[in-house]
Amino acid sequence: MARAKAEPQQPATGTTLIVLVGLAIAFLLFMAFLNVVKSGNLLNETNLLFATLIFYSGAAALYLGFGVTGTESYVRFASFATWLGLLANTAAVAHRWYEAGHPPFASVYEMLLSFVWTLAVLTLIAEKKYDVKVIGTVTMPVAIVGVVLMQLLRTDVHPLVPALQSTWLHVHVTLAMLAYAACALSFALAAMFLIQDKMKTETFLAVTSASTLAIYAGVVFTRLEKGGGLSLVAWNPEQKSEMFLSRGVRLFVTIPDLGWLLTLTLLVVASPLVFYGLARWKNKDSFLTLANRAVFLSILLQVMTLVMFLVRASDGSYPSLDADGLFPTSLAASPFILSGLVGGVFISLLYMLLLWRRTDLERLLPSADNLDRITYKTICLAFPLLTLMIAAGAYWANQTWGSYWSWDPKETWAAITWLVYALYLHMRITRGWRGRRAAYFAIAGFAVVMFTFFGVTYLLPGLHAYA
Amino acid sequence: MAVALRALAHKTWRTIASIQTGVVLLILVVILAALGTVVLQRPATEPDEMQNAYSPQVLRILDAVGLTDVFHAWWFLGLMLLVSVCILAASIDRFPNSWRYFSRPYKYPDETFRRALHPQKSVAIADEESGLVAAERALHSLGFKPERVVRQDHFGIFAERHRISELAVYIVHASLLLIFFGTIVDGLWGWRGTLNLNEGETSNLVELRDGATRTLPFALRCDQAGQENYKDGTPKKWWSKLAVVQDGRDALKKEIVVNDPLLFSGVRFYQSSYGLTGNVDKLMLTAAPNNAPSAGSGEKKEIGLALHDTVPLDADTTLRFAEFFPDYAVRDGQVYRKSNQFENPAVHLVVTSKISGNKMVGTKTAATKTAGQDFDVWFPPLDEVADDSKAPYQLQVTDLKMQHFTGLQVSHEPGQWGVWSGVVLLGVGLAFVFYVVHMRFWAVPVCDRKTGKYSLWIGGTANRNRDAFEQNFNDLVASVEEELKMVGGEPGVPARLDGRGARLSTV
Repeated sequence: MARAKAEPQQPATGTTLIVLVGLAIAFLLFMAFLNVVKSGNLLNETNLLFATLIFYSGAAALYLGFGVTGTESYVRFASFATWLGLLANTAAVAHRWYEAGHPPFASVYEMLLSFVWTLAVLTLIAEKKYDVKVIGTVTMPVAIVGVVLMQLLRTDVHPLVPALQSTWLHVHVTLAMLAYAACALSFALAAMFLIQDKMKTETFLAVTSASTLAIYAGVVFTRLEKGGGLSLVAWNPEQKSEMFLSRGVRLFVTIPDLGWLLTLTLLVVASPLVFYGLARWKNKDSFLTLANRAVFLSILLQVMTLVMFLVRASDGSYPSLDADGLFPTSLAASPFILSGLVGGVFISLLYMLLLWRRTDLERLLPSADNLDRITYKTICLAFPLLTLMIAAGAYWANQTWGSYWSWDPKETWAAITWLVYALYLHMRITRGWRGRRAAYFAIAGFAVVMFTFFGVTYLLPGLHAYA
Repeated sequence: MAVALRALAHKTWRTIASIQTGVVLLILVVILAALGTVVLQRPATEPDEMQNAYSPQVLRILDAVGLTDVFHAWWFLGLMLLVSVCILAASIDRFPNSWRYFSRPYKYPDETFRRALHPQKSVAIADEESGLVAAERALHSLGFKPERVVRQDHFGIFAERHRISELAVYIVHASLLLIFFGTIVDGLWGWRGTLNLNEGETSNLVELRDGATRTLPFALRCDQAGQENYKDGTPKKWWSKLAVVQDGRDALKKEIVVNDPLLFSGVRFYQSSYGLTGNVDKLMLTAAPNNAPSAGSGEKKEIGLALHDTVPLDADTTLRFAEFFPDYAVRDGQVYRKSNQFENPAVHLVVTSKISGNKMVGTKTAATKTAGQDFDVWFPPLDEVADDSKAPYQLQVTDLKMQHFTGLQVSHEPGQWGVWSGVVLLGVGLAFVFYVVHMRFWAVPVCDRKTGKYSLWIGGTANRNRDAFEQNFNDLVASVEEELKMVGGEPGVPARLDGRGARLSTV
């Protein structure tokens, strides 16, 4: 993963360089793949995922090459690689489905599998139908991260507990995935609109820095222990599950000193925001230059933190504050911290891409008007899907719990998401909101979606304990 | 006074029906609902948990304001009601306009309209008739049913599709109101509770959420219940064979599983859990006399016993199932019940012998026994509690059948039909709102006053998805031009009318 992540960090000077790096990675992975073939049993899920990873990496490298240099010919190869990866990905999904006997939505691993698949499909659709070629520059690296995360998470086929054995579950979850994917797309389009709408680069600086800062603040404030340790959930490697002290109470282990590193990164991540504030306050552009340097520095530090986290949390046993002895932990025990750290690097890199290549991006992206319209169309797609998703969920809940609506946090937040998009549509249709205001709304809507998807599961208690 | 009142009423109406009010109310709903997920909620959270989470003062304030049970607080319900009123008012306010639009379609575009419309195009034609015929044919070929509009002093062609789309938003609003109505009915007349039945038990008492008990007009009997497991031990399926008993007869029988409830006269029974009651259903054991050869009735007996049952072992000896501990512990020679979990069970049996030992058995230990003596036998053998070696019978437990209960959720939701029909209607309405486009086309022959040349003005409009509509419009124009070539021939020669067109007698 470190390799795959490292590419976009290269300053955007060498044009073919990045492509070569991508092809080299693809080649290396392919050689490894040949070894797997020699060992027999080609068509198992691991190998299929491996093939997916190879092709997606190739595609991501080419898309990045396109995003950075604007060379159109890369896109053809990139989408070809995406097609191949999608083929392998589809086979993996089918394999999983066949093996488990239910559509792959039951665990975080299976959700990721479907999510990556959806992402690739959407990329191809956006490219072929709407001519938004640059979208692969963003989505394919995300897909790679997804596939790599999958390797770290449990892969056993899990039987479904009685409440989940319903056709309505599959309907509900499929609709949820589609709706959330459409929301994500509308978010990306709205962000692109803001680029095309000549929103100032430093505004993006402020927003991206604030997002990264929020991630680190979230981790540090909840997990920093006295003495600079970082608490992580203990992991039982035999049972492949989190360890519990008692029913519902997780056992935490403390990795010494990692907390300090995260705190340091938190401070550095905060610095661009401080410089941005100074630039606004003193009205001096020199602070902005400083802020951009600070972003660059923060990327280096974030990558270092990520690597340290990967090294220390993936293996080894650590003491716990609540129990005697050493307990093992694993990356699989902290998927959300891991995705947070990866996401932080990714957000900062996106900003760097914008900073260095803004003019190229503006040339490559569709016009602001088009983006505005496509954003609206995507939400027109997302809204009915959200409605049906909630309805299917309510019907299922009625079959299982005897009540179609019980105001549990996930339900409530799904309703809030629905209301936010309903507001968007009303403002757009009756008040004629276009352009920036609509784009902000689309972005806010997606933030609510993200909270519904991740925040509610991990911050608020409720009936939706399965997802 | 009356005027002021009427003005006030008018102003109130305008406020309620305005989109701003709607938006403010929806934002309020969002904020309050979000608060309801952040603050721990009352019925779901145990009282002591609440006390752990908040200090007494904070808790008192939260309780007083109703934030610990947001979704049942009067102000939240009031807000939802207000939202409903607002939706209704907005719909009523706007509906007449839309209805006029719907019922009296605008068929002939006047000059101002023609000037402002986009997209529009003018195509040169030889004469009025050939232009109209071409437009008609082109519209036909695109699947429209064109209509000749003939007025006193002018004429043209009008075609449209999916006029219903103009009313779709009212379908959506009506469906939302229907859903709200259903939930209100449920809130007022619905109830939910639980009913736990042991196998073989019949009951008509449902324990409601608030602790009260509701008596059903019929009873429910559980004939059998069970659980199936996956290989790794996690539950795969819970099932119960239920029977509804009414007037002493079985009115309905059904095997229910999770996700497949039983419905009887508006009351639904859901499988929600299955487990051990902690009581023994039957203890299976074998008994053999300690000195089989001399007793005569020496063969092994198989016995099934319920708790507190007594069975005779022979003419003089009885066996009683005295006590059962699902999870036992021994301290100071006493047996305690450690918990009600079925983890470490112990069985206490008492063998009572009525007559003195020498008649009963001829062994050296039994010879000293006197009439009516009890022998305590424990499974597993507990030497520190009782010595069972002197018992006249050798007992062996073969099986311990535990009693199971099936946990049922019971609910009565009379407003459900409103909710589900509302949901279906909502789906239909949204499909119409987003994907059914009301398209209109007009074609009007126009004579240029200066040059005297004819041209055909073609215009069109759609109520949504306008960029896709422009493609449709361009297709139409291309098709008209194509038709003109075929129909018109040389300019100046009147085109023959085909059967579809009516002769313009009023011109």
